[in-house]
Order: sequence, then C-alpha cells, then structure tokens
Amino acid sequence: MNTFPAVAAVLSVGMITYASRAGLIVFLAERPLPTNISRALRYVGPAVLSALTVNLIAGGQGIGGVEFVEVAALGMAIVVAAVARNLLAALAAGMVTLWLLLWLL
Amino acid sequence: MPAADPPVDPLTETSAPAGTSAAALRAAIPLFIPAIPFGLVVGVAITDSAMPTAVAWSTNVVIFAGAAQLATVSLAATATWLTLVATAAVINLRHVMYSAALSPRFNEQPRWFRWVGPFFLIDQLFALTSVRTSLSGPAWRRFYLTAGIFYFLSWTTVVSIGLVVGSSIPVEWRLDVAPAIMFAGLVVLGLANRPGIVAAVVGAGVCLLALDVPNNGGILVGAISGVTAGYLADVAEVRRAEVRRDTTGAQ
Repeated sequence: MNTFPAVAAVLSVGMITYASRAGLIVFLAERPLPTNISRALRYVGPAVLSALTVNLIAGGQGIGGVEFVEVAALGMAIVVAAVARNLLAALAAGMVTLWLLLWLL
Repeated sequence: MPAADPPVDPLTETSAPAGTSAAALRAAIPLFIPAIPFGLVVGVAITDSAMPTAVAWSTNVVIFAGAAQLATVSLAATATWLTLVATAAVINLRHVMYSAALSPRFNEQPRWFRWVGPFFLIDQLFALTSVRTSLSGPAWRRFYLTAGIFYFLSWTTVVSIGLVVGSSIPVEWRLDVAPAIMFAGLVVLGLANRPGIVAAVVGAGVCLLALDVPNNGGILVGAISGVTAGYLADVAEVRRAEVRRDTTGAQ
C-alpha cells in the first residue's frame, strides 16, 4: 500500500472511530438508543472479531491460505482463553503451540 | 456540615478524594495491564504492515482504538481502501454503545469537553467512568481526562516498544499469526451468554465460507450474519424464558 492510500485509510478510520465515539454525545444528548438496536449492537463484537480472525488466518489467499499449525495455535489459544479467562495466557499458549509444531513438523 | 472522613472509593479501595487526578491514575493503572500484550502485538503488526511504518504508527494518534488499529495495519496488505474502512467501522460499532451510555454524563459538561472527551473513549475508560456515579461536574471531568490521557500516553508508548522489538525479531518466529490469536482471545473473553457464542460461531463460519468474496468482503458478510444470528438467538432466548415463566405461573 502506497503512502497516499495508506494516509487516506488511516484518516478515514480515524474519523469513523471519532464519529462512533462522539456522535451520540455531541449530537443526540439524552435520547437513548432503541432497545432493539442496542440489543443487536451487543453481538457486533463477537461476530466481527471472529470473522476477522478467520480472514487474517487465510491471509488473503482463500481457504488455501489456512495452515494446520495456525489452526492448532488458534484452537489452543481459544481453549486457554475460555479456561483461564486471561488474554496474555491465551496469546502465550497460542504462540508456544505454533512454535512447538513448527519445530516438530 | 460536620467534617466527614474521606470517602473510600469502592473500586480502588484508597482513601484519596475520589475526584483527584491521583485517584484517577490509581484506578486506571490496573486496567491498563491486560492491554500491554495487545499493544505489543499492534506494534509488531505495524512492522509487518504493508503500510509505510510512519503511517501505520500514526494510527496511535489518529485512531487510538486497539482493535481498529490492528485491523487497519494488518489488512492493508490484502484489502482495498473501502473494505478496510468498512471493517473498522463495524469494529467500532461498540463505541456507539459507550457513547449512548455516557451521553447523560456529558450533558452536564461544557461544550469543549463534549467534543474532546469522546476521542479518549476506549473500553477501559468507559469501564472506569460509567460506574462513577458519585462524581459529577468538574470532578468527573478531571477523573475522565486524567485517566484518558494516561491511557493515550501509555498505549502509544507500549505500541512503540512493540514496534522497536518487533522489527528485530526474525520472520521464522511467525509473529504475523499473533493478531489473529489476539482477536480470537478477545472474542472468547467477550462472550457473556449463549447468543454471543452463536454470533461468534456464525460470524467465523460464514466468513470462512465467504473467503472468496473479493476485497475481503467476507469479513463484512460474516459480521452481518453473526450479528443477525446473535440478535435472533437473543430474541429466542427471551421468548423461551417468558414461555417458561408462563407455564410455571399457570401451575
């Protein structure tokens, strides 16, 4: 990505981030979000972050970009995150699994 | 009025007056610790990014939102400008919830602060300030700004450390996988109920099926399907609970 499209992308994401944080505070004071919308918004986090995980693992090469070692590392990280409820432990478990498998295979 | 003992802040268990900058820092620091590995991963991702390093680093100052920054710098290699921005917009939707929840607190604040304050509104700051109902007016503002500026400076520092360390780590260590692991961990830690699990599984599954959609459009297809599935599961769960209550009530 060249400098100009990169700067444009960063500035656009910056403006969108600020707008989503400031929008209701600056413009819509005291008007609560409709319940249906705030209920749906609760599921944005899990839905988009898990889709993003899959996309990053594929690395822009479709299903062929998914490597076994990456899936194993992710699986280990997910199990550790669920059991230990700790992001650092999950990251460490995932990376150590990845390194072990790369070394073994 | 008789002089009272300084109130003990239930969240920090210190006797520092709740509205001082010292109390704000003492409350803010523990919440920052879990963000340190995330910041290091963002720093490493910046060295790996297809963007020029300086532009990728500027996300700290321009965006200041970990997940959106990580998506922006790591998708730059494969995504077009439009998918990148759309993905970040969806990731940022949770900030709309924070904004909605805090807007009554901001109503009593001066106009300049209503414009400046939201820039700092990361997850930790929301967690800290939304529960401080004992503070109001200038005290809440001082608390908010002190914690917010602390998070801004420490986040930028940690990401910069990750950038310096990351560029000296060999490619064979495969640190490029770390962002995906980070996102997966964030999903798991954020799961609070069954509809949340439905949203995550559908989001990941549909994105996997839609990997061939051009321009990384699979992320958005997966995200929209996941949110819809989570919302429907939520509605179904509430309805089941009502049915259960009705049947037990009839007995």
